Amino acid sequence: MAIEREEILPKYWYNIIPDLPKPLPPPRDPPDAEFSRIDLLRKIMPKEVLRQQFTVERFIKIPEEVREAYLNIGRPTPLMRAKRLEEMLNTPAKIYFKFEGATPTGSHKINTALPQAYFAKAEGVNHVVTETGAGQWGTAVALAARMYNMESTIFMVKVSYEQKPQRRTIMELYGGKVYASPTNLTEYGKKVLAENPSHPGSLGVAMSEAIEYALTNNYRYLVGSVLDVAILHQSVIGQEAMKQLDILGEEPDILIGCVGGGSNFGGFAFPFLGAKRGEKFIAVGSYEIPKFSQGDYMYDFPDSAGLLPMVKMITLGKDYVPPPIYAGGLRYHGAAPSLSLLIKEGIVEWREYSEPEIFEAARLFAEAQGIVPAPESAHAIKAVIDEALKAKKNHERKVIVFNLSGHGLLDLPNYESMMKRLLK
Amino acid sequence: MSKMLVSYATLGYPKENEYLEFIDGCVKGGSDILEIGVPPKYAKYDGPVIRRSYKQVSSWLKDIWPLLKETRDRVKIPIIILTYLEDWLPVLDDFLSNLAKIGIDGILFPDLIIDYVDDYEKYVKKIKDHGLKAVIFTAPSVPDPMIQRVSKISDIFLYYGVRPTTGVPIPVSVDSLITRIRILVDNKLVVGFGLSDVEDMRKALRAGADGIAIGTAYIEAIEKGGVQEAINLVKYFRGVLNEF
Ligand SMILES: Cc1ncc(COP(=O)(O)O)c(C=O)c1O
Repeated sequence: MAIEREEILPKYWYNIIPDLPKPLPPPRDPPDAEFSRIDLLRKIMPKEVLRQQFTVERFIKIPEEVREAYLNIGRPTPLMRAKRLEEMLNTPAKIYFKFEGATPTGSHKINTALPQAYFAKAEGVNHVVTETGAGQWGTAVALAARMYNMESTIFMVKVSYEQKPQRRTIMELYGGKVYASPTNLTEYGKKVLAENPSHPGSLGVAMSEAIEYALTNNYRYLVGSVLDVAILHQSVIGQEAMKQLDILGEEPDILIGCVGGGSNFGGFAFPFLGAKRGEKFIAVGSYEIPKFSQGDYMYDFPDSAGLLPMVKMITLGKDYVPPPIYAGGLRYHGAAPSLSLLIKEGIVEWREYSEPEIFEAARLFAEAQGIVPAPESAHAIKAVIDEALKAKKNHERKVIVFNLSGHGLLDLPNYESMMKRLLK
Repeated sequence: MSKMLVSYATLGYPKENEYLEFIDGCVKGGSDILEIGVPPKYAKYDGPVIRRSYKQVSSWLKDIWPLLKETRDRVKIPIIILTYLEDWLPVLDDFLSNLAKIGIDGILFPDLIIDYVDDYEKYVKKIKDHGLKAVIFTAPSVPDPMIQRVSKISDIFLYYGVRPTTGVPIPVSVDSLITRIRILVDNKLVVGFGLSDVEDMRKALRAGADGIAIGTAYIEAIEKGGVQEAINLVKYFRGVLNEF
């Protein structure tokens, strides 16, 4: 068994950029910039992470130490069949899911937190900083930092900080220092608070604070999504899934994932796209944060303060603030440049589902499979259910594979809130 | 066949006379090709140093044509104009025919296949129809099949910018980036963007580059020690290329 696990875990990360249908517009500095954001990256990111971001090769070797760390957190994650869900839907389709909730932090985010922390440590960094929304990314960074004996500081979006005390507890248990953003610790945070003292926070604001905080203290910033390097690291998901399907003798037809910044979707789907396996790819976002239906494909800043280089992506604008009562996650204002390009080219389809829809899907999945999904992942589940029902209508034996990006055991306040508001 | 040194100068930088002195020095110092940057409205893929040079020149250079013509008249080696397509779209035919008229050899639009990918063939044809060489710019963010395709139609050489912006020493593995595309490129391969470190250059050449394009390093040398220092740098880089 141990040998099999090591064989399924890939030896390389996969980068889709050389296989995209068109050139990926590069990150760039804004016109008349008073300073170079691209240059600033050198002070923000661990050097090796930056090198991987810009040294675009199809395959990049995973350092043996990082592979060991992956094995240690339980990679490869299981590829499971949702047999009872199929039965409940009475669909001829087969449904499989890659269960990224099986890692200790409960989501896929650890897949990039580990190598980034490893590279930071190897450079002599002793303190890393990041932002987090719901807390999955913050948790992953806090654990990864602990594993490499580094300090971590996490700027957590204020509404989540208040609604998600358990996430905070875990981060603190791992030794992370957690602040509710906007804070008074950074110039940008102060500015946001001066304009609106009850600002609920946003990922864009928290990201800016984390970057500024890293800069002023000469710490390093770890990036959780959006940038190519994060998706590169996540490619372990899709590569494992391909091998696991091979072992089962299955060929996937439809691949589905949810999209916040795009890292779990890209990590899961891009290896399939690159290998030309699968006929339909569906990226699922939230109806309440409607970047696919209402966003523009343009150069925009990943963070609200505009400290990072502009990237070309589908975006609602860097200053977008999501509706505060909405509890379904996927609140980031943009989608990764590579994913945005694939959507614009019609290679990846998108869907948006509302909170009541994903809540219903989450309930059904929990009843069928017993796993409480992360609200983010419930978006993917909703699309899976729709596709399975379509297969039923058309009498097609489709093989649907989706990425269950996280479990929802620490998102129970969200479900509680949804139950209160939606079950009337 | 020796390796190509492609030397970049911002048109008119820092001042007219010093600029002319520098391009003379580029030729004498052993450059094979001269790349002249025409100040754009938005230097999308340029770092702070080249942007600074554009800004300085734009403050006094109102008409580019006499100086471009003067450049052509002094210099016998091929001259390639570097400027962004975005700025010239409304007057593209006039612009290209003026360049051809004064005897400029070719043009390189860094944004051609990135921002105008759907129409790039049309623009390449237009450039060639005006009797100019079309030097195509690629980067690691260009997919492999496309690098292969445009390498066949690029004139003089294929330009490969190994960093996202000029002049900023983002850590990249120059050799890995070149190894990835070398077998795809059916043309001479000239590598640029942030190459001033000679070890990086040697790596690029060992990995199969046919030439090196240098810009920012010269401008920084001019800022620090004046034109003569930049000319010394041309000779120094020529020496590095001659090792191969
Ligand atoms: C469980 C889970 N799924 C999905 C996402 C969305 O992010 P991404 O699109 O980068 O995977 C998040 C983000 O926090 C998450 O925690």
